[in-house]
Amino acid sequence: MAENDSQERRGSYIAKVHSNRRIGSGFYKLLLEFTDSGSEAFGGCRPGQFGQLDLSGAALPPSGAIREDLQDSANRGVLLRRPFSFSDVTFKGIETFVEILYSAVGPSTLRMTTVKSGDSMSVIGPLGKGFEIPEGKKMALLVVGGMGAGPLEHLAKVLTEDYPTMQVVAFAGAKTSESLPFERRLDEISSGLGFSLAEFAEFGIESYVATDDGSAGYEGLVTDCFSEWLGKTDVKAEEAIIYCCGPEAMLSKMAEIAAERKIDCQVSMERLMACGIGVCQSCVVECRGEGPGETVYKLCCEDGPVFDSKEVVFGV
Amino acid sequence: MACKIMSDGVDISVDFAGIRLANPVFTASGTCGYADELSDFMDVGALGGFITKSITPKARKGNAPPRTVETDSGMLNAIGLANVGVEKFIEEKLPIIRSRFENTAVFVNVAGATIREYVTVVEKLAGEQGIAGFELNISCPNVAKGGITFGTEPRQVAEITSDVKKAAGEKVLIVKLSPSVTDISVIARAAVDAGADALSLINTFAAMVVDIESRSPVLANRTGGLSGPAIRPIAVYLVNKVYREVAESREIPILGIGGIRTASDAIEFIIAGATAVGIGTANFIEPDCAVKVIEGIRRYCAGKNISDIKDLVGSLQDRQSSS
Repeated sequence: MAENDSQERRGSYIAKVHSNRRIGSGFYKLLLEFTDSGSEAFGGCRPGQFGQLDLSGAALPPSGAIREDLQDSANRGVLLRRPFSFSDVTFKGIETFVEILYSAVGPSTLRMTTVKSGDSMSVIGPLGKGFEIPEGKKMALLVVGGMGAGPLEHLAKVLTEDYPTMQVVAFAGAKTSESLPFERRLDEISSGLGFSLAEFAEFGIESYVATDDGSAGYEGLVTDCFSEWLGKTDVKAEEAIIYCCGPEAMLSKMAEIAAERKIDCQVSMERLMACGIGVCQSCVVECRGEGPGETVYKLCCEDGPVFDSKEVVFGV
Repeated sequence: MACKIMSDGVDISVDFAGIRLANPVFTASGTCGYADELSDFMDVGALGGFITKSITPKARKGNAPPRTVETDSGMLNAIGLANVGVEKFIEEKLPIIRSRFENTAVFVNVAGATIREYVTVVEKLAGEQGIAGFELNISCPNVAKGGITFGTEPRQVAEITSDVKKAAGEKVLIVKLSPSVTDISVIARAAVDAGADALSLINTFAAMVVDIESRSPVLANRTGGLSGPAIRPIAVYLVNKVYREVAESREIPILGIGGIRTASDAIEFIIAGATAVGIGTANFIEPDCAVKVIEGIRRYCAGKNISDIKDLVGSLQDRQSSS
């Protein structure tokens, strides 16, 4: 893929909300429709890139419908935009559909649950650098932690469509089966460790599930599930690449595993952002500098959110 | 610089310390990078003025994250003056700035840990083309040394202003004031007496947000500067106070800053006494908001039959007593 092809077309666009539906226990998928120049800009965006949504004007749900742990959030105002990566992007020429996987965790995402078909949504994007697919790779290993599923679902689609000979395997972990952000699981069609996820199965991608409490699939962390799989599988390190998105502790562990096995690994980082366009300098990620022990701050919004795992100095 | 009188007959150009600005709208330091960042979203050349992020003698990494947190109608930031340093600024950023701006007055915001450091930066830039002047940051609440420590004591303000003014040569010197003082007019007077050509106000308020789960501050720096709409009425009040008590009689222009998002916000500041206005936090949310403010100011003037925006500056009236 060309380097940052769509970052050159980043801009401020108005999308139309196509649908906003609840999936599973506490997750939602918002489908946005971009037309004209917005369609062109977002149609070319790559997995891992993101958009900044203005949710300040969205209404709160009726107070009776707000979870108790979000009652305080409901009283907070929203000023800044919120960054979201995409779980699917479908370019159809004059229109592009962009899907966002989210859950209600604070004042903005609580408001996000009330937007409905036909509403307008201001989106700045596409922003940042997405996942890269280096030459010569024959196996892609996708490792998801919780809400990190979004950009890797998008990546699964791109890998399937544009790299038909690539062998892809997905791993997804969460605390419990309830906190897996997927619509439905297929029963154990894949032998061995766990379930198969429809989101990946639709692209013919085998997947494994891990939950901390064992309520679905492997009992334990997704990183351990991955390590066990790796121990049992014939993987040529130089031909393989790991892509991960999830909590920083998981990314840090994956970086370790990748370094031990000398497998390339790209991690999608998360930081609090104000602008998302490289101005406010909020979202710094500590990275290795040139000299020994030297570190530099890179911007999650512009230099990332996807980084080479060897580059990042993890905070956990 | 070109004086733009459009077909509506409204002149929104202003004289800012001897510099002719096509319009009174700036983007404020630290919210517009080095100019290139916002140019995907608007014609930055349409700005009246542009202020770079703070430049120090050496590059600074800035504070550890988290560096910002949202609050109601505002946000806290503690970036810690992260910047490329003056040498790299001249080498890499200034050529871009020169290429982006023809009719916009560019000011370099200057910071340091000692007076000597401020002077060093200004000396290195005083001879450079494409810079109209400097904004002296003596009001940053987020660094251990320098910043706000120079901006709260009148004698210190006078000393740093006078030293930097000498180093600035022909270029205009704006002194940026902190609101976290007992009487801002005392500080404003000290700066003006020591040679400041203009004043900008306000910088952010020192503030804190606590994470009640961990019982620790959310920001790695513990505290940060509060900006955004939450501070706007205080900024309007302080601009008016400084205008009445110091600036008007001395004919010193004020650059009013604090929570401006819309043209009406900007016009409030102008009526209160600001010759020009700076847009800060709003750039993060609506990166083309400055051009919308410029258009809105023009529309307001046309609608009110104000042919020259200068008539609006400091035009605050006493309230009519109501029956």
